[in-house]
Amino acid sequence: MTHEKRINYLWLFLIALTLFSAFMAERDTPGFSSIAIMSLVLAIKGRIIVDHFMELKHSHKILCTLMQVYFYVIPALIILVYLFPEQIAKWTTL
Amino acid sequence: MNAITQEDMRSEFSFKPEAKRIPGSMAIWAAILAEMSEFAIMFIVYFLGKVHNPELFYEGPTRLNTLAGTSNTLIMLTSSFFVVRAVMAMRNNKPITSARWLWGAVICGVLYLIIKYFEYQWNAAQGLETETNIFYGVYYYVTFNHFLHVGWGSAAIVWVIFRINTGIYTKDEHEGLINMALYWHMIDLAWITIFPLMYVIR
Repeated sequence: MTHEKRINYLWLFLIALTLFSAFMAERDTPGFSSIAIMSLVLAIKGRIIVDHFMELKHSHKILCTLMQVYFYVIPALIILVYLFPEQIAKWTTL
Repeated sequence: MNAITQEDMRSEFSFKPEAKRIPGSMAIWAAILAEMSEFAIMFIVYFLGKVHNPELFYEGPTRLNTLAGTSNTLIMLTSSFFVVRAVMAMRNNKPITSARWLWGAVICGVLYLIIKYFEYQWNAAQGLETETNIFYGVYYYVTFNHFLHVGWGSAAIVWVIFRINTGIYTKDEHEGLINMALYWHMIDLAWITIFPLMYVIR
């Protein structure tokens, strides 16, 4: 596959993921499964942009890792906040 | 005597060149990492607000305009795609094509700003203001901050188009275009994080 075709397909994939997210947003009862799926979608979208649009996949290791980790940490926080809101609230109460 | 043989040198400096290559300049990466840190602080504020006010953060997204949020996400992703195609065109020695792709990205940026403006108007009509509750306070602070980034990012793209049209960038030397492209992708990354936090997740 040429680089041009890969970028075109990745863009279409990102669009499809966004429409899927919008569909999830309109659902009535959000649960853990939808939170986990949304977090995964965010991680995938972030990774595609970092790796392929910013071309960091085969570039400077530290920069690449820093940017990739961002899109592991935020989805992980979304799940943690959903699972343990009271515990986190307790830890962060002054 | 510490004699370093050629063999030692080879084993010590055996990184592949691409493993050390930095796309764009160090200055733009300093800016990008600073901006990503700024957005990270806002996201932490969001998470703290959510655990301390679960009802408000559950109810908040349901009153926002999902269509506006989704449209702006599609627009931001498309603008990023246009910017990638502009860089590819420049590498293929096609500056006019590159500038055309960038105009596409500028149109996307302006569309984003117009949609966001009308979304704020729509919110106001629903009585959703910064003081309504903490969810909307965080929503307005984060999204308006992003709104400003899209504004000056679009202006930066217009500046790069001007530079392309004056023949400053060539197939082999177009670091300014790369820097702008990286910055624009950072703005896109911030938005794809804001979208699920504010409009989707409850």
